[in-house]
This record gives sequence, C-alpha cells and structure tokens, in this order.
Amino acid sequence: MKNLRILPGEPPPLHDLVLTRTWPSRLDLKTEIMDTIINSLRPRGVLSEGDEQWLTLCLDEAVVNAMLHGNEGDPGLSVRVEVAADAQSWTICIHDQGEGFSADAIPDVTDPASLLLEHGRGIRIMREWLTDLVYYRGGATISMHRRASSPESVADRSDQES
Amino acid sequence: MPSEFLNVQAYENIVLAQITKERLLDAPTINTLAQELTLLLDRYPKISLVLDLAAVDYLSSAMLGKIVALYKGVKTNKGRMAMAGVKPALMPLFKVTQLDKLMEFFPEAKDAIFLYKRKPL
Repeated sequence: MKNLRILPGEPPPLHDLVLTRTWPSRLDLKTEIMDTIINSLRPRGVLSEGDEQWLTLCLDEAVVNAMLHGNEGDPGLSVRVEVAADAQSWTICIHDQGEGFSADAIPDVTDPASLLLEHGRGIRIMREWLTDLVYYRGGATISMHRRASSPESVADRSDQES
Repeated sequence: MPSEFLNVQAYENIVLAQITKERLLDAPTINTLAQELTLLLDRYPKISLVLDLAAVDYLSSAMLGKIVALYKGVKTNKGRMAMAGVKPALMPLFKVTQLDKLMEFFPEAKDAIFLYKRKPL
C-alpha cells in the first residue's frame, strides 16, 4: 500500500493520557478492550455523533490486527493500549509484541486489479476516517489520531462536492 | 433453512437473504454467516441474490471480505447479486474500498427483487 507510514522507532510520548492498560492477547477480550477505550474518551467530549460507530470499526481492525497478525494469535502475549485526549483531539496507541510488517504486504484494494481480494481493506478503512494513522516500531505499534472537527470521510466529502 | 443470523426467502432463483445481526465484527459470527450464505449458492444454482443489510449497524473489513467472496461465488455460477438496505453510515465503507463500483446497491430489498423479477436471468 502506497503512502502507509511505518516508522522504525518508538512513538512520541503521549500527553494528556486518559488510559494506559495492558491486556492478554485474546480475541475474547476484544469487546472489553474496545469498550474500555471508548468509555475513556466519551466523558472528554471529543466523540461527536457518528464517531463511535467509526471508532468501533477502527478499534476492531486495530485490535484484531495486533492480536492475530502482530502477536500471531499467541494468547500468552499481550497488547498495551494508551489513550490520550485533549479538548480538540484524541490519540490511541496499541502496541503488540510482534515484529511489525512491511507496507508491501498490504494490498491497495482500490487498485482495480485488487478489487476482488478478500482481505486487506481494514487499513484502508481506518485511513479514511482518521486524521492521521502512523505505525511505529516497524508496524508493531499503531497510532490512531483524530481531530474532533475532522470531516466524516472522504467518501462523504466527495458526495457533498458532487 | 433455520439460521441464527439470516432470514432467507426464495422466489424460485431470486433469493432474499436478510442479515439479522446488528454487529458483524466477531470472527465466529462472520464465519458462521459466511458459511450460511455460501450454502445458498449450493442450493440455488444461477442465483439472483439480494443481500439485505438493513439491520446491520457495524461491519468489519473481515465481513467485507466475506461479501466479496460471496460475490465471486455468485459470479462463478453465472448468477447476480445485489446489496440492499445499507445504512448511510455504512455506505462509506463500500465507497472507500470501491466495492460500490463492483456491486449493485438498492435502497431497499424490494427494489432489487422488483428489478430481478422484471429481468430474469
């Protein structure tokens, strides 16, 4: 996938942390993890109407990727979550214990030749809604950032423009 | 055909498959649903399938992949497939992945059924 930012180093430290927690890398905990993250942001007033649906989707993709691809389904490993929020934006970092990945391994599903692939759409969907999506530690940390005033999605913007 | 997540009504080879689950996020749900949908292709050759998502609020990329697999199976059997009732909040998922260019979308299932009845395969 073109333009996917995968950096080798650690992510910059987060300020205004509202949640730091580590969970076992077990898919049966996915809903608990997602609910805990959303509940940490809800009282901060940075989630507008419609945000929770998109955020749920992004978290689902990120947590599943961390557990299944990063940690290769090993329930003995863990995922660490950090959530930061201020009045205008939020950032969520999810760290797995894997080796990371290469952008070349992620297909560009908008390429007509890849349209019929049955995988590889998760990152594309996340990039659509997030203000910024960056991977650190070679891909073993995902950093999702969104400004509260961000447009819903490019698809919506193109609808409005047409 | 009893199903946990699916209501199926068939009018000869026009098959309406209504997904009844609101959240299509968990792997067991998605895999069960995909198996049930695939069985329709075995049961109805050259199917005209209307997949009704009116009840669905959450849809993961894994489920999108299953829908693509289903679409490919339908096409392999020389059938056709329509998506119906997709909520406005979910439509961007199909747009950003360009699946809206691959499949036909209808506001409601009855619109697709009406078209399929008028134009039999």
